[in-house]
Amino acid sequence: MNTCEGARPRVLEAVLDRGRIVLLALPVVFVATFLIAPLALAFAISFWQRVGFRIRPAFRFDAYLDFLSGVRLFVLERGVVVAAEVTAISLVLAYPIAYFLCFRVRREAARVVLVLFTLPFLVNYIIRTFSWSWLLARTGPVNQALEMLRLTDHPIDWLLYSDFAVLLGLVTSYMPFMIFPIYLSLVGLDHRLIEASFLLGANPWRTFRRITLPLSVPGIFAALIFGFAGAFGDSAVPIILGGTGYQLMGNAITSALDVLNYPLAAAMASVVVIVMLALLLCWYVMFDLKSFLGKILYWRF
Amino acid sequence: MYGIRIPRRDVLKAALYGGTGLALGVASWPAAAAEAVNFADIGVGDPGGDWSRYTRASGGSGVNLVSIGNGPSAILNVLIAGGGTKTYDIINIVGGMQKPLVDNDLIEAIDTSKIPNWAKDGYVAEYLKPGTPGFDFIGYLGKIYGVPTVLQGDSFAFLPEATGQLDTYGALFDPKWKGFVALEDNYTTAGQKTALYLKESKQATIGDPANLTPGEVKAVVDFLIEKKKEGQFRTLWSSFEQAVNLLVSKEVKVLDCWEPMVFVAKSKGIDAVYAAPKEGYLLWAMAAYIVKNPARTPARSKATYDLLDFMLGGWYGARITELRGYMTNPLAPAYAREHPDEFPADKAQRIAAIDAGVKKKFEKGGTWQQRWPTNVETYEAEWARFKAAPGG
Amino acid sequence: MTIRPLAQWLMWLALAAVLCVLYLPLVPPFLFSIDARGTSAVGERLTLRWYASLPDNPVLVGALGTTLVVAFVTALAAPALGLLAAMAVRELRIPRVILLLVLLPVFVPGISMGLATALFFRQLGVPSSLWSICVVHVLWALPFATLIILTVMATFDPVYLEAAYMTGASRWRAFRDVEFPLIRPGILGAATFSMILSFNETVRTSLVQGPLNTVQTYIWSTYLQVGLSPSLYALMSLLILVTVMLLLLSLAIGRRVTR
Repeated sequence: MNTCEGARPRVLEAVLDRGRIVLLALPVVFVATFLIAPLALAFAISFWQRVGFRIRPAFRFDAYLDFLSGVRLFVLERGVVVAAEVTAISLVLAYPIAYFLCFRVRREAARVVLVLFTLPFLVNYIIRTFSWSWLLARTGPVNQALEMLRLTDHPIDWLLYSDFAVLLGLVTSYMPFMIFPIYLSLVGLDHRLIEASFLLGANPWRTFRRITLPLSVPGIFAALIFGFAGAFGDSAVPIILGGTGYQLMGNAITSALDVLNYPLAAAMASVVVIVMLALLLCWYVMFDLKSFLGKILYWRF
Repeated sequence: MYGIRIPRRDVLKAALYGGTGLALGVASWPAAAAEAVNFADIGVGDPGGDWSRYTRASGGSGVNLVSIGNGPSAILNVLIAGGGTKTYDIINIVGGMQKPLVDNDLIEAIDTSKIPNWAKDGYVAEYLKPGTPGFDFIGYLGKIYGVPTVLQGDSFAFLPEATGQLDTYGALFDPKWKGFVALEDNYTTAGQKTALYLKESKQATIGDPANLTPGEVKAVVDFLIEKKKEGQFRTLWSSFEQAVNLLVSKEVKVLDCWEPMVFVAKSKGIDAVYAAPKEGYLLWAMAAYIVKNPARTPARSKATYDLLDFMLGGWYGARITELRGYMTNPLAPAYAREHPDEFPADKAQRIAAIDAGVKKKFEKGGTWQQRWPTNVETYEAEWARFKAAPGG
Repeated sequence: MTIRPLAQWLMWLALAAVLCVLYLPLVPPFLFSIDARGTSAVGERLTLRWYASLPDNPVLVGALGTTLVVAFVTALAAPALGLLAAMAVRELRIPRVILLLVLLPVFVPGISMGLATALFFRQLGVPSSLWSICVVHVLWALPFATLIILTVMATFDPVYLEAAYMTGASRWRAFRDVEFPLIRPGILGAATFSMILSFNETVRTSLVQGPLNTVQTYIWSTYLQVGLSPSLYALMSLLILVTVMLLLLSLAIGRRVTR
């Protein structure tokens, strides 16, 4: 086409650049259209007033007051606490596993093990969770095994329909998700950095603390998001494995929708989103963006 | 040198995406020719996938069954938000939802003259007469909106080998079975049964268990919270599968549930009994509503009414009773008896037995479930308080 | 640097223990699917009739088709969009904002997202169909795909691209030949993730499903109202079996190729 270098290629580059920006903006446009616009509408509705079954545009805080001053606030608190616990436990389990698979295991074996971690997710989530309620029942195999091993003389009640059961259900559901990002960020580490650290005389623990761990922060960040958001928004595990009346935010919102209380449901959803955004912003502030986007931010072209 | 070179791989990818999109677009094209009624059902109304008799009777129309949940939010939101009014023709759910559905302009009144089997359905005349609480399951403001496809009375189940015979809802709150009782997570069933019990046992002043005043709701929930603190309840169940599991694994000894769960438990070898409490039963009916859609073609309208008529017929009624354990319509037991090729003798007997059993429940009476009480929001708020209360 | 073999063995043991706990809930469905009464009292009457009855359920077969199509679309679209989003994060001047926007679907409770999106579709007059289900699934999978790809990109050294440009490659060529192969594991991982997420997505789908069923909404509905048929357990067991066989096959082929 054009053989003359100089002015022409710059125009071409400009066109390519603009086209590229359109392409790169695509995901943002996608989310903006299909999620932000609806969310904005939902957020607006949380201020509207109920008139019978309909809702009328208004600006009142009734729904928020109802939510924040009533019993439902307890559900929010519990949601945050449970999600934090699940994320912490899962991270403590996932990181060593990812580290082991990356550094101490052959690539092919590691790949196979990773696939093994994904297989259970092919089984429907409801069926998996419900299986736990069968396994942990008073007459279920776990209790039977415990009794056979003489570790207890009567069925343990708190295995099921309890905080323990909910934690178990959530951890087994989301911990495998967290292994992958950590593994990916560890695998991509430049091994020469670790070697250099040893050459300079650092012991393994020091190397880990100063080199490996900080460089794997991108993976940890992704893992924390997967774990916390997943556990916080879960609505099946609480009602299948939880005790009498155990519910998390997803269940509470459904309950409000059951009586067509759209402003209240919208208020609850908005508060959930705000809480999550606040946590994300905390992370943004505490950690320099460079640390979890790594080399990406040195991008210049 | 700076030419735009589109790599082969990108062309392939684009072709793949484009081709997929085209294929999907073609695949989601509505099926041509034959009418297919979009039938949203909570699962009870599925006769095992066999709609052939309907197709024959209606001159070629089919049924596209979509499984939905029974929670009010599931139904209302699917219709209001999910564009369900343009998609679904019939929704078959537990009745009594006319008020929110009609007030939100989601269903249309039913012209019973277009349903020949309506007149033959003696249960409508007997149990769902205008002016009686039963009418509230299918009608609103004097008009009929729902076709009663299922009728039933609920109480609770128990394991006789552990508890002996029980005949009062008080068993659910009896400290003897502490930690071995479970309730349904539903204020219109468990809540109403508790109210019925408290009224009959004079533990609270309650006018009509079907429509509690805010004060009465609070009293019922206070009672439940007290029991929860004492550790009376093992859990609140929210699904059929969960309730059956509670019985089959003998996790509980007394269970507030629906009769089909007892049938399923029995089929798995558990000796469970559905109680006949002296306070009476919680009576309810399923209603098939026609979704309001002014753009519905006359052909589809006719197919819809044909389906409603089919659901009040003998074969459908017998099949649903056989599969789900609910009472359907008077033509069902007779049909099962007269067609031994389709319903062998033992099945026909079972159908007749279920039918007779439910009729007995209606004779005994009790309280009609109120799916949308006047103070439903107080119910919901108070139930949230019950759920948030600390347990024992 | 080697570590003591004992420590290695202990770690393998711990790993096996964790995997066992994760696989434990897969055992009951399998047991139920081969028992005549659908209970766990296996050994009394073993049967394969639940497997045989699978094709007889037209709703389930239809739902399976829908689920597979949606999963396929999600596994293609979400990583593609995720890749673009990751590139947008690093090239446009507002990385924090873009990241926030792309992560938004994860922060919104399932039912609120489904309801809001459904209302939005209705306002636009878009009928609920395969497309609305796909949109919701891709929306849900996008943040996960993006994060995974970002994680892999974070380890990719831009110096390679610099080298590519210095030898005269155009942007697209540099991306295709230099960057893409190095972040391919991330993209494959994102695709796998997206497919898994699509396979498990119930609540958001239930509000935009329209006249279609997916396996998840079907299971949810029957679970709630009429009880799970053992044929569903059979379906799940079959799914695992087929996947394991495909995996073994691909492993065997991989071995043969490298030999």
